[in-house]
Amino acid sequence: MLGKKRLVSLCLALAMMGSVMAGCGGASESKDSGTAPTTTADSKDAALDPIEISFFISDPGQAPTADNKIYKLIKEKLGVTCKFEFLVGDKDQKIGVMVAGGDYPDVVFVDTFTNPKFTGAGALIPLEDLIAKNAPNLQKHYEPYKNKVKDSNDGHFYVMPDYGVYYNDYQTNIWQGAAFWIQKAVLADAGYPQVKTLDQYFDLIEKYQAKYPEIDGQKTIGFEVLSDGWRDFCLKNPPEHLIGHPNDGQVVVDPDTNVAEFFWDKDYAKTYYKKLNDMYNKGLIDPETFTMNYDQYMAKLSSGRVLGTFDQFWNFSNADLTLKQQNKIERTWAPCAITLDESIQPYYQDRNVLNVNTGFAITTSCENPERVIKFFDTLVTEEWQRILGWGIEGEDYSVDSNGEFVRTPEQRKNYDDQSWRLQNMAYTLWYYAPKMEGSFADGNACTPGFQPKEFYASLSDYDKNFLKQYGYETWTQFLNEAPENRISYPAWGIDLVDGSAASMANTKIGEVGTKFLPKAILSKPADFDKVWDEYVTELHKCDIQAYLDRMNDQLKWRAENWK
Amino acid sequence: MANNISALNNNKSPSAQVQLQASLKTSKWSLLKNQKQLVFMSVPLLIYILLFSYAPIWGWLMAFQNYKPAKSFFNQKWVGLQQFEYLFKDEAFIRDFVNTLCMSVINLVLSFVTAIILALLLNEIKNMFFKRTIQTISYLPHFLSWIIVCGIVSTCLSTEGGIVNEVLMALGIIDSPVLWLSEGKYFWGIVGAANVWKELGWNTIIYIAAIASIDPAQYEAAEMDGAGRFRKMWNVTLPGIKSTIIILLIMNIGRVMDAGFEIQYILGNGLVSDWSETIDIYVLKYGIKQFNYSLATAAGIIRSVISIVLLFAANFVAKKLGEERLI
Repeated sequence: MLGKKRLVSLCLALAMMGSVMAGCGGASESKDSGTAPTTTADSKDAALDPIEISFFISDPGQAPTADNKIYKLIKEKLGVTCKFEFLVGDKDQKIGVMVAGGDYPDVVFVDTFTNPKFTGAGALIPLEDLIAKNAPNLQKHYEPYKNKVKDSNDGHFYVMPDYGVYYNDYQTNIWQGAAFWIQKAVLADAGYPQVKTLDQYFDLIEKYQAKYPEIDGQKTIGFEVLSDGWRDFCLKNPPEHLIGHPNDGQVVVDPDTNVAEFFWDKDYAKTYYKKLNDMYNKGLIDPETFTMNYDQYMAKLSSGRVLGTFDQFWNFSNADLTLKQQNKIERTWAPCAITLDESIQPYYQDRNVLNVNTGFAITTSCENPERVIKFFDTLVTEEWQRILGWGIEGEDYSVDSNGEFVRTPEQRKNYDDQSWRLQNMAYTLWYYAPKMEGSFADGNACTPGFQPKEFYASLSDYDKNFLKQYGYETWTQFLNEAPENRISYPAWGIDLVDGSAASMANTKIGEVGTKFLPKAILSKPADFDKVWDEYVTELHKCDIQAYLDRMNDQLKWRAENWK
Repeated sequence: MANNISALNNNKSPSAQVQLQASLKTSKWSLLKNQKQLVFMSVPLLIYILLFSYAPIWGWLMAFQNYKPAKSFFNQKWVGLQQFEYLFKDEAFIRDFVNTLCMSVINLVLSFVTAIILALLLNEIKNMFFKRTIQTISYLPHFLSWIIVCGIVSTCLSTEGGIVNEVLMALGIIDSPVLWLSEGKYFWGIVGAANVWKELGWNTIIYIAAIASIDPAQYEAAEMDGAGRFRKMWNVTLPGIKSTIIILLIMNIGRVMDAGFEIQYILGNGLVSDWSETIDIYVLKYGIKQFNYSLATAAGIIRSVISIVLLFAANFVAKKLGEERLI
């Protein structure tokens, strides 16, 4: 299904925390915050009057503790108190109530799906003039993307994208996106082979499963297909990757003509699902895979007996973390960029894209938008980015003789500890606010996860050896080199407009897929063609054209406006 | 109330009756006056009902608009019956409608039959401690949320060590584990069984109370006539709680369009969607999640109208049969 921007942002965030096992400094040794860099002219200006800014975060989350050292510093230096309200219950419902009542907090976090709801209700204020007048740093920050940040309906700049603005050089160490994942033990057992095609991938799994029918006393599961709720991209997206296209959601877009094609009913999709059908009948695919929910999926992955899955890393990174904590590194997974046959160039890894329509927006209820925008402007300076990304120098990291930021193992451990974070990091603020990615002017990465030495130091011996066997240094090397993104990429972020024919058709299409794809996979080999034909017939009953028209219309708009 | 007054009249002398009839209007008022404490006490309830059951009906207007939030009432676009047309043309809505109805009827029948049987059985138990223990154990699941119950259900039905498959395999009824939750034909049964497990004890309480109010003399009389246990159940207990049963039946028929939401939403998946989706899920998917409140309202109206029709029909039938009735 839709690839989802939120996902990308989530993955990036997780990239920085989880995998790299990064860590800030000792929780207990709280020195006074005098070590923080001196305030810039900007922040002095903004610090004049104390103010409380209320935020609504449309994700469940935990509020920082009252004595959080970074928020305390922000209050001291900038005079700003941050009050967060997190989502409890259903997002659409909560936002529906908010919009119907017209009563908003100062700042809301919006994403691709909620953005149209807020803008449609006229709840957000245009930021272009506000930023031009009050926020030179933000102005500079978004300058290269000034066309992309515009709302596709009225051309205003409402939402400050949270991810995708890169500075200087950087190296991506961990792949957070989509891939066919395979357990490292499977590759190690087979002598570290290169996996290039779908057949090779399932061959490896089949052989390993036959050789080791049980892992830690439980039945080995060859392959999982998650199809729970909005995470059904695990079921629906693989065919586009298998024919060498990047993640455009449920369409493939021709890079030359910029025209979207709906691929669910195509032959290459059939080839993939036929393969899954064979694998199911051979006993590789977990029979419960289509009835389990996300929690059950995570539980199975965390048990270390799942050999393969198609997923985006951020979606199961908690299972990866759990296995690492149990020291079952060989049960974690490596990404495979596979295609239907070797003649097709894989395209899994893409270049970072600006996370349009996702980020903080200021609402009409905000009484002092200038002050709020100045606050974000101050935060996006290197000085504050360092505090938000790394912490306090001397407490959470130190600078070695080469000027490089380094951390002790304990500081790395702290950084991964959720409760420590609530007390010692302004994680929520950093995560959702406009931020620098890549590296600072002095060459240090903006967050520990991107610091090459930090990344390598945090690897276990098993992983170090594993990478060495392949001659790689980072996990991203298992995938294709990322080519230049198409201007209109990615198609999954396109707003279909709630309640429109395109959006209704999209829901219908999704429903047909959720129903028939599992049915086809679970059918007897002889019945597969029959179920597939039924599926295609049902698909064609939906208004696919309305959906495609909207997609192509927006792709064209992007190609013209995003140059 | 009129019945009461005429009943009262019969006891009066003819002259008093004439007088009373002449001043029927004033007598109604005086009756109200006499019961003014009761009237007073019912005011908050009346306000509650007006506020929460009648005032929102105003919102039904949304069903005839293409409602957009945050726009004033006068700026909304009126679309006539377009939303209703969409619903009745939508196969998914018709399917969900049928599912709702079927699951509801299954739940209704199962919960009635099981609750009455359990109440009758409990009534026969003379050991108070044993009786109370059973009662408590059987109604405890009522207090669990559906999320938990669904977790228990899916664990029990799991193919990896789920108790249902294990037991059936041990008994030799099946050879390999059955994928209970991925076969549509089992879904209604699973919902029905889960409902019985969760609500059985709770539903029993009211019948046990009704049974307790039966005059013990009737049992003694039946015993004198040589009636055994089952005779007494059939001829004394059941007729004794018949009016309770019928009132509850009428009330439940009014709720038939409400098959529940959580269990279908949590246990449902793509494979069983043809059986599992109810009107509530439809409203969530195509109405609320799409910000299409008008469609959601239209679906709600259809549901309410059908409920009211069913309620009155059941009441009418009860009246024709000369039974207790609600209205």
